[in-house]
Amino acid sequence: MSYYFTILSPTDTPLFNIAFGTSKGGGDGIARFRFPETAQYMNQFIIHSSLDILEEAQWTNGGMYLKHIDTYPPAAAYITAFLTPSGARFLLLHQPPNLPSSTGTGSGLGSSSLLGTAGSTTRASSSSIAANPTSPQTEEAVRQFMNEVYENYVKTAMSPFYKQGMEIKSPVFRTRVTAAGRKWL
Amino acid sequence: MPDNNRGVFSLIIINKAGGLIYQREFQSGLRQLSTNDYLVLAGTFHGVHAITRSITPKIPISQPAPSPATSSPSTTAPAPSSYSYPNPGVPVSGLDYLETDKFRLTCFQTLTGTKFLLFTDPLTGNVDTIIQKIYELYADFVMKNPFYQIEMPVRCEAFDRHLGAWLRGRT
Amino acid sequence: MAGPPRHATMQSISNGSTLQSGDRPQAQPSQQQLSQQSPGLRVPSNRKTIYDRHLNRSRNTELSRASFAFLFGEMVTYAQRRVTGIQDLEKRLNEQGYPLGLRLLDLLFYRSTSTSSSALSSSSTSSSPPNRPLRIITLLHLIHGPLWRLLFGRAADALEHSVSPDTPNEYMITDNDPMVNTYISAPRDMSMLNCAAYVAGIIEGVCDGCGFETKVSAHNQPTELWPSRTVFLVRFGDSVMEREKVLERAGIK
Repeated sequence: MSYYFTILSPTDTPLFNIAFGTSKGGGDGIARFRFPETAQYMNQFIIHSSLDILEEAQWTNGGMYLKHIDTYPPAAAYITAFLTPSGARFLLLHQPPNLPSSTGTGSGLGSSSLLGTAGSTTRASSSSIAANPTSPQTEEAVRQFMNEVYENYVKTAMSPFYKQGMEIKSPVFRTRVTAAGRKWL
Repeated sequence: MPDNNRGVFSLIIINKAGGLIYQREFQSGLRQLSTNDYLVLAGTFHGVHAITRSITPKIPISQPAPSPATSSPSTTAPAPSSYSYPNPGVPVSGLDYLETDKFRLTCFQTLTGTKFLLFTDPLTGNVDTIIQKIYELYADFVMKNPFYQIEMPVRCEAFDRHLGAWLRGRT
Repeated sequence: MAGPPRHATMQSISNGSTLQSGDRPQAQPSQQQLSQQSPGLRVPSNRKTIYDRHLNRSRNTELSRASFAFLFGEMVTYAQRRVTGIQDLEKRLNEQGYPLGLRLLDLLFYRSTSTSSSALSSSSTSSSPPNRPLRIITLLHLIHGPLWRLLFGRAADALEHSVSPDTPNEYMITDNDPMVNTYISAPRDMSMLNCAAYVAGIIEGVCDGCGFETKVSAHNQPTELWPSRTVFLVRFGDSVMEREKVLERAGIK
């Protein structure tokens, strides 16, 4: 599984982003997106396209962790959202690995649009989090990840040198998020 | 002392330059001086206070017994610098109180040179505690007030209120 | 005189960190990025950053009221420079409080989550974080209770809705004795001034952070018993009132 994590300000300005891969089930923590040449901007595009749905969910669900909110089938990208009370959005895009055993790229993508039935379930035995982006285990793992990032985000926000809406440049924050990713995802 | 409250007549605060910055009576109907007289009173007291400080007697240090080995030739000629106040551990304070048959004036000077003058009945006890409390209220409601300019007349409504309430509450 | 030693310590600190990362060339792309950014970063000598401090550490520690009073007094004096009038001064105080409100909101939620889960292990799901306020009343209760307790150690004294049918968007939060005003007496020519405009700014920050566009102002409403009683008038924007109607119809609490 490959991940792309972004923090957006309440006015949709990107504050932080990071790409990483799974560390579970022998993963090496390096992101391998299905379309590496376009991933750089497509990931951001996909994440931003889910904002409308997020803003709808924001006023019907009072929780901070909004779980899986959007799917972008062509890239098999699943978006999970976490909203801080002050309106910052934590968005995690996850993309299950492209299976070499699947029957060709085109149809493989088609099947995963039905919330990952054919391809994903075969891998589910090897590591439950890695393969199935909508399973309860994944949801729980992402919740833990989000909570840990939230804690560090609050610490960032409490810094007198940080102003709401500023890009988070702290290298310590980045290592903390990387560590959280390694721990939970 | 059940009659403490009656015992406190009035309060004057003088800044370190001798200017009157606060004046208040604690009993209604006291005969008032004119504003100008209060200013003169404050200035005069300030001067007298300074004089009492400077006329504090100094006694020569008489190089007593502890150094008999070195002091053999020059025992009888104390150097001009070796004067000391009696009881050197206590700083020179200047006038602390004035007392007549009818009233007692207690003066308390803060470290920064502000003086609190409290006019009380001569029979009133615990004047030090009263002045300490007034000083505390001053530190709280005057010095912590962002609108108070240092050395300027005190016009702090919260100070007046708390001062009045505290003195009333003592009886 | 002060220059060289300071420079020397800077160098020794940055040397320490660059040596570390320089020992492992091309370790990982993210590591590489880190070492590129770090020259400007000064890590305290015990290598503990704000990220190493637990957010609940100072939760129950007490702060000196006097130092707060002096600090706030200086803030008022600072805000008073170059102002044109009372409204301008109140606006500046409000602006000083606003960012604090935004920050407090996150801290408040963080602390209320972690206390409910601190007894249990942190990995349990049973800790249900408090919900983000979606409706006006929930938000106001959050301000009246938890926020006030976080700031002043007690709840606010009253929460009222405007009785006038013309202004359904107005709510009032009352504090009988605002802590910020304890030692402040406004001069007579500024009797309208209420320095709790700073607290109004905090409330405004909290509301805005939650997505409720608001204007908050502080007003003197002295009574015999409470001479510095202050009413915070919370006026919600039209967009909030519209959304409120929609949410009410949808039955969202």
